Amino acid sequence: MSTEDSCPSKANPAIGRLPRPASMITNVDVSALVDTDGGMIDRSIYTDRGLYGQEMRRVFARSWLFLAHESQFKKPGDFFTTFMGEDPVIVTMDKTKTIRAYLNSCRHRGVRLCRADAGATKMFTCTYHGWSFDLAGALQSVPNEKAYPEDFDRKDWSLIDVPSLATYKGLIFGNWDPNAEPLEESLGDMRYYMDAMLDRDPEGTEVMGGVMKWELEGNWKLAAEQFATDWYHVNMSHASALMVMSPTGRGPKAEIAATPGRQFVAPNGHGAGFPTHPKSRFDAGPVHEYYDYPALRERLGDAAVEGPMTTGHATVFPNFSYLPVNGSIRVWHPKGPDKIEVWAWILVDKSMPDEVKDAQRLYNLRTFGPSGIFEADDGENWSEVQAISHGFVTNSVPLNFQMGIGSERNDGVYPGQTSELYSDAAGRSFYKHWAGLMNTPAWHEQGQPGQ
Amino acid sequence: MTETMAPAAGTDIPPTDGRLVDSELAYRVQQFYFREAELLDDGRFADWLEVFDDDLFYWAPLRTNRLRRQAALSVGAQGEAAYFDETKESLAWRIRRYDSGMAWAEDPPSRTRHLISNVTVHHQSDGTLSARCAFLVYRNRLQTETDIYAGGRTDILRIQPDGGFKVARREIMFDANVLQAKNLSTFF
Repeated sequence: MSTEDSCPSKANPAIGRLPRPASMITNVDVSALVDTDGGMIDRSIYTDRGLYGQEMRRVFARSWLFLAHESQFKKPGDFFTTFMGEDPVIVTMDKTKTIRAYLNSCRHRGVRLCRADAGATKMFTCTYHGWSFDLAGALQSVPNEKAYPEDFDRKDWSLIDVPSLATYKGLIFGNWDPNAEPLEESLGDMRYYMDAMLDRDPEGTEVMGGVMKWELEGNWKLAAEQFATDWYHVNMSHASALMVMSPTGRGPKAEIAATPGRQFVAPNGHGAGFPTHPKSRFDAGPVHEYYDYPALRERLGDAAVEGPMTTGHATVFPNFSYLPVNGSIRVWHPKGPDKIEVWAWILVDKSMPDEVKDAQRLYNLRTFGPSGIFEADDGENWSEVQAISHGFVTNSVPLNFQMGIGSERNDGVYPGQTSELYSDAAGRSFYKHWAGLMNTPAWHEQGQPGQ
Repeated sequence: MTETMAPAAGTDIPPTDGRLVDSELAYRVQQFYFREAELLDDGRFADWLEVFDDDLFYWAPLRTNRLRRQAALSVGAQGEAAYFDETKESLAWRIRRYDSGMAWAEDPPSRTRHLISNVTVHHQSDGTLSARCAFLVYRNRLQTETDIYAGGRTDILRIQPDGGFKVARREIMFDANVLQAKNLSTFF
């Protein structure tokens, strides 16, 4: 199993082949909307349709986006369909066992080529007129091909390839930018925090069957930002869940609620927060009993085991988030400025015995996912942010991101810059990186008029 | 009336021996279901829990879009991600949350109406009953928020000495791929 290296290449000439008039595209300078020094965010970035389009062009079309987990592809022809921003993509394993990804749209009249969520196939055949593409994306057959002009060449009508694909410890990411910064560099110090989940087991990780999918009212950034920076909400938002999970049934002890911890603040928008405690542990009993904590200290280091390995939250910019304690990995698919489609997988260590995997699976879906006792209350809060945010005055009042301003430092223990557990630092960094991308033309804008 | 009954798609409840129950028993099962729906719609979750037997398996698999030749995979298998994969104990755990006064997803509480129809009840060879039904659950929340959950249920019912029933097993098949609701904070 391998993935194509993200080697520099030219953008697909089919993208933007018919140049659009400049008047169709408006890019706004968002500098004034994101005051990361003062810790304030303008609510229009969650509601404005024009800014949303700009996000699709300048954030999603040039960032590394999570596509799938390697364990979803075992043999050539295995495929999984997902989205990059709002662009539908097919992820598949070709005959050379290389992971490939293509725009899930027929090159002829644009129909969604593959309508299944996952499966196995030899060819992707369009149900409209029958154009048929192989696992390498090549157009193999065109009914009534003789009627096309002499210079019609099937090679010119291959599926649109996702030009940059890379994996990080089982996680497959794609980027529409053909000259994207390599994934590992883009992750930077975030890798250390991801490793605390992805590298506990020398055999690596796998996802259990099925992707939980549901939709909610809310802008995608509300969820992505929360998973990057927001331990603050836990005690209030999840009070009921913490109560039923505590041994006494009355909620966590004061010293647990007031636990110390750190928050990693990446310059390029990633974030991760976690309590730190010498006895940090997994919540699900059989999972806790399975792990050999001294061995994990050897493998990952004391700081990882006491911090980001268990309880905590994280976002890889822009819209991939995870929770190491229950193995929930998820994408916040944007569906317009006001809607998110959540896709959540259950990640486990490959070497875990089946009964331990199953315990983690049950703990995962009972706490997070559409029926999860934690997740349900998050959805309620996000939708209640969004539902009222189109009011003119409401929308004109900035939101507060001032917690822990100036607290970022090198703490001597955790890689990169960290802040306090309770802090908005990673959120401010998330929006600073977002604004930087929004204000900078992307690869597909080079040489286009009016940019 | 006798007919063979194929199990619902995705279910591993064995087919019945083909005997549809008589009208009196069918009536009692329907009334049992209507009463259960009332308990849910009245927010009496602790009382609702008592319709289940102690060894309950309560399961709602995910449903995926598959190519027709792989349609057998369109219902999630046991052991995979699921909307619900519960025991009576884990349902009790979920219900206790609502007593905390801080379960914001249901505070203020939603208004729900559980509609149960298309009930067919068959004898199982081991003396239990298998019952299929359709449900439409309407949830209205806050001002205008509305969700509709549609699907089917397949239960194994144990007849109790007093003539009542306990649900030993419930499989819930939501007719959905992407769940069109922000959460599942009611039961089915």
